Amino acid sequence: MRTATAVAAPIEAHGHNHWSPYVDNGGTTLAIAGEDYVLVASDTRQSDGYAINSRYEPKAFVLSNNAVLGTSGCVADAKRLCEVLEQRAQLYQHKHDRQISTPALARLLSNTMYNRRMLPYYVFPVLAGLDSEGRGAAYAYDAIGSMERVTNSCFGSAETLIQPFLDNQVARNNQRGADPERLLTRQEALKIAIDAFTSATERDIYTGDYLEIFIIDAAGVHKETRELKHD
Amino acid sequence: MFLTRSEYDRGVNTFSPEGRLFQVEYAIEAIKLGTTAIGIRTGEGALLAVEKRITSPLLVADSIEKILEIDGHVACAMSGLTADSRTMIEHARVEALNHTFSYQEPIPVESVTQAVCDLALRFGEGADGQESTMSRPFGVALLIAGVDERGPQLYHTDPSGTFLRYEAKAIGAGSEGAQSALQEQYHRDISLADAEVLALKVLKQVMEEKLSNTNVQLAKVTKEAGYQIYTTDELQAVISRM
Amino acid sequence: MALPAEASTGFKFDNVKRNQLLGDKGYKLPTATKTGTTIVGLIFKDGVVLGADTRATAGTIVADKNCEKIHYLAPNMYCCGAGTAADTEFTTSMISSQLALHSLNTGREARVVTAMTMLKQYLFRYQGHIGAALVLGGYDVTGPHLFTIYPHGSTDKLPFVTMGSGSLAAMSVFESRWREGLSREEGIELVKDAIEAGVFNDLGSGSNVDVCVLTKGNVEYLRGYSRPNERVFKEQSYKFAPGTTEFIDPAAAQGEDATAMDVSA
Repeated sequence: MRTATAVAAPIEAHGHNHWSPYVDNGGTTLAIAGEDYVLVASDTRQSDGYAINSRYEPKAFVLSNNAVLGTSGCVADAKRLCEVLEQRAQLYQHKHDRQISTPALARLLSNTMYNRRMLPYYVFPVLAGLDSEGRGAAYAYDAIGSMERVTNSCFGSAETLIQPFLDNQVARNNQRGADPERLLTRQEALKIAIDAFTSATERDIYTGDYLEIFIIDAAGVHKETRELKHD
Repeated sequence: MFLTRSEYDRGVNTFSPEGRLFQVEYAIEAIKLGTTAIGIRTGEGALLAVEKRITSPLLVADSIEKILEIDGHVACAMSGLTADSRTMIEHARVEALNHTFSYQEPIPVESVTQAVCDLALRFGEGADGQESTMSRPFGVALLIAGVDERGPQLYHTDPSGTFLRYEAKAIGAGSEGAQSALQEQYHRDISLADAEVLALKVLKQVMEEKLSNTNVQLAKVTKEAGYQIYTTDELQAVISRM
Repeated sequence: MALPAEASTGFKFDNVKRNQLLGDKGYKLPTATKTGTTIVGLIFKDGVVLGADTRATAGTIVADKNCEKIHYLAPNMYCCGAGTAADTEFTTSMISSQLALHSLNTGREARVVTAMTMLKQYLFRYQGHIGAALVLGGYDVTGPHLFTIYPHGSTDKLPFVTMGSGSLAAMSVFESRWREGLSREEGIELVKDAIEAGVFNDLGSGSNVDVCVLTKGNVEYLRGYSRPNERVFKEQSYKFAPGTTEFIDPAAAQGEDATAMDVSA
């Protein structure tokens, strides 16, 4: 019995509310990596509680012609993190006379976030770009810098709705006759990203308004925009 | 330069009226007292060769180390006050490891060279509130050889903190003769195997002792295997090809 | 020991102490479905127009995309509900049956004030624990009436009212455009716009607009009067090929795998 109580101990130990420096501004970001491209999609609604701050406030940021940072969580923290990363990428360029590669940027982001271990950036980023072999690379993080290279990932308010869909449609888990190793083509990934967002918009109150999709390939970063429901 | 020697050669951070820092120039002179070291860049990799002065038959030749690893893909040969190079190589190693920690990739060869040179002028009294680590300039020159995505590279650094990239470079007591020999015999398409022989031939020319597999050291850095120092047997194999 | 006789009516409070104890230990009570809602009502020249959105939420998830928030009370009375879905549904249906009995006993159509009084007394008795915030509208012998009833039992009688999480968005529309003597069409249009203000600007409200127009001797319930949020077509079909799901064939597994699941039962 004692163990059961301990396991289920509440997070807020005291009844009164402590002030929190963090705000969750809602919204969702996903990434799908393919053979020679990687895609980042995120909605553009920014909210606070039941109120919409903005219908168009993008939370995916183009860092270079080979890297896009998708974020979710607290926008203020996400923007700051993005600025820090841009500065560090620029310093790298000056110091080493070359553009920072996506894998190097991925590690840099991990370090930058772990540096704030005790007061983290309230951001759940997905970094997408091409690796040194030109393959699509997506890196998913938690708020304190744990990093993993993935073929698909989803963070944010509709994460619990979309991630199982990606596990099924991108990773093709637990399906007889399906090849989980096969990466999606660009068109397949695009369709799945759009359907993920139109469907999440139906059921998640924080996801909606517009959808921005960044596709990164050898030619650079290409953006597509779709309208989502506004309710 | 010795003709113009004056009061200005005492302070390490005082320019002479002609605009010279004598202590730095003297430090560069110190390298000319050192053993000869040679670096050759080839398309297959970069090569380093040094001579060891076995001043006594009782001296254990293995204890003389003049080629050191900085990172898996960068090595360094030295001439001059080799003890000074400890500080520089330590700094270079830390810098290389920090880069790998930050970016999960090997540091570019030029960057590690730059990092070493950043140390060179941190002598003297130091500015206000800034602690100075050294009382005099380094008395050592380095040949830094490495491979990165730009291919095999060779850099030369001197006590003034200047670094330059070379196809082939000699430093130390025999550097003048060795450099002109390299200039004559080096060509851009040289193979690594030919460069091994060339390096030893040039060393042989400028060495006082007879060249053997104990009084020279040879190392290479290649894209495939990174830094490798030659064993006595490997060295002997090169000597027999001379 | 004989068990105490179960009460056949009203709420039971047997679990209150237990739940309080569990709550103190950190166990969370199940969350109720809320109708985080925009509901409105206004008086026009000939009667009352009620309006509601159709989104029901469970936390941040949309539980029902097209629920009904305008509840029937009596032939001449309807009531919009915001707050805890179950509370609004049960409160209105219970008062509805009491009003029906009241009409039968008196032989007359119930008055809107009667319904309002019954609702406020009922809600006051439970000190706000019944989470029902209501907009009550109707037309009786004394004319059109419009009330708001708060969960603690307080009431207002006003010519135009809004309630729920989208009430501010809806009220901004009413405050700028409501006037005395609106026509039926103008009234409906204004109610629709007020609800849509909630639908688009309040995350707790969404989907469609239901409207109910109550005039002398007549009720027009316009379910799905406005549908500004139709779902778009999906990019592709997600039908799985037959046989995609892995399963254990009990016959084949017999004897081979002692842990195979028995699916015959």
